[in-house]
Amino acid sequence: MVKKRLYLELENCIGCRSCLAACTQCGGHEQRNRNYVYDVNPLVNRQTMPLMCLHCVNPACARSCPAQAIQIHETGAVLSALVEKCIGCQNCTIACPYGIPKFDTEQNLMYKCDLCIDRTKDGIPPMCASVCPSNTLQWLTDEEIEAKQKQFNLDNGKWVTSMPYLEGETNVRVNLPGILQGVTKLF
Amino acid sequence: MQSTISATKRPERSINNAFASQYAKSMFLSIVGLAILVFIGTRMFTHIDLNLYGYMVGTITFIGGFFYRFIAWGERPPTKIIIKKGLKLLFRKSTAKTAVNHLAIYDFIKKRGFYRWLQHVLIGWGCVLACLVTFPLVFSWMYFTMADNGYYTVVLMGMDLINIKADGIIAWFSYNALNISAIMVITGVSMALYRRMKNMQARAEQKFVYDFLPLYLLLFISVTGLLLTVQNVFLHGWMQPQMSLIHQFSVIVTLIYLPFGKLAHIPFRPMSVFARNYREHYGDEHMKECKVCGEKFVSVEQSNDVINVLDVNEMNFNMEKDGFNLAELCLPCRRKYRIARFSGSPTHQVKVKEANQNARG
Repeated sequence: MVKKRLYLELENCIGCRSCLAACTQCGGHEQRNRNYVYDVNPLVNRQTMPLMCLHCVNPACARSCPAQAIQIHETGAVLSALVEKCIGCQNCTIACPYGIPKFDTEQNLMYKCDLCIDRTKDGIPPMCASVCPSNTLQWLTDEEIEAKQKQFNLDNGKWVTSMPYLEGETNVRVNLPGILQGVTKLF
Repeated sequence: MQSTISATKRPERSINNAFASQYAKSMFLSIVGLAILVFIGTRMFTHIDLNLYGYMVGTITFIGGFFYRFIAWGERPPTKIIIKKGLKLLFRKSTAKTAVNHLAIYDFIKKRGFYRWLQHVLIGWGCVLACLVTFPLVFSWMYFTMADNGYYTVVLMGMDLINIKADGIIAWFSYNALNISAIMVITGVSMALYRRMKNMQARAEQKFVYDFLPLYLLLFISVTGLLLTVQNVFLHGWMQPQMSLIHQFSVIVTLIYLPFGKLAHIPFRPMSVFARNYREHYGDEHMKECKVCGEKFVSVEQSNDVINVLDVNEMNFNMEKDGFNLAELCLPCRRKYRIARFSGSPTHQVKVKEANQNARG
């Protein structure tokens, strides 16, 4: 099976929030969504951007967990806290540089994006990527991501964000909007 | 920051703090403690039940596995902090209430569903009951003697505790405690297995070794244990010695497995009381204000602890340009800050509440 990654093309987002709704429907998610959609500049324009767990290669949430409840799947996905191990200290929510983990006070349990592990472990795209109508969220092989890079009119090596704009190497690839890179994309 | 951590760390690096030393020390103390307790309980080794000898060896093997797992786990920087501060805060007023809530009646599991709560109560308390009966018998901390008068004398830690009628109600419960616990565990495990087969949420994530194996082990123990009673009562003890060996095997295998699989949550769970105390105590003391919106979102202590733990792991989320560490932002502001980094416009500075992020509308 070819390894595929979640790939985000941020500026495509139209704010429909299909990804949030789809997230609730994933097996094991117990009808609670784990992703976010933000207005970039709410008083000025309608641009939105999705935000979800980027599945760090060296995840701060798991590093800060006293109970070793946050496990990393062999595909690289950083999983939700194991229900029997999570002790409800909420260290992970403080540690995550992107503010992703959610905490249920009633159930004394953290939950977060697990990249729909029951799907992605078999090569099926995660719920959010399979419903996204604007190709903001895509499920691609590394070659396809490379081809994307060539497709865009970029010569300045500024393409995929990962490092300078994120806090560490991530399994999810993010493509910064052209506005910031000062370039136009060719479609 | 780096220098203070290494300065405080260096004196700890003695051979006495090495994993092997701690392990040897813990093992030695527990075995000696156990031996002393057995010495007292058996009136100087005169009342050891050698039928249960296998369980004794099994328990000692379990202690070995337990310390191996627990000490390695306690070495992790975040675990160390919670254990250290949790022990310091152990005598808070709310500890008893939290402990009962988390460790005895499992209120938080009830919030995850009544069915799951019921199965957990049945399995959990079935096992606790069985342990309370079995281990005192294995180490002969409790045994029964009878002078020819139809009354059992219950001897606890070498002291005559109570005289009970051999066909009385207390005696009945003593004989049947393990049967009752076996029925509780079998019911609970069957409920759990049924849920794991029917529930789509559970089916999405479960694995055989992690989720099913402990259930099958518990079932193995309970069924073989219950069969011993069946053989005694209905079959005049037919094949009873063989079954008792099989039962012994099932218990010892489970004891060896316990610290390493899903059942490891049993000895580790008291940490959740520590964590609650930690959050309540330091939350009352001083709350951290978000560096962007000013909302109080976590205790200063925890924010600093997390920053230090990440530092030990060579992660540093100090945003030099903006003058804060990411652990000093409340969650919505931290997410908005990330959007700002992606887009280049300062989303986190715009004084608008985040849009509804709940897909249920």
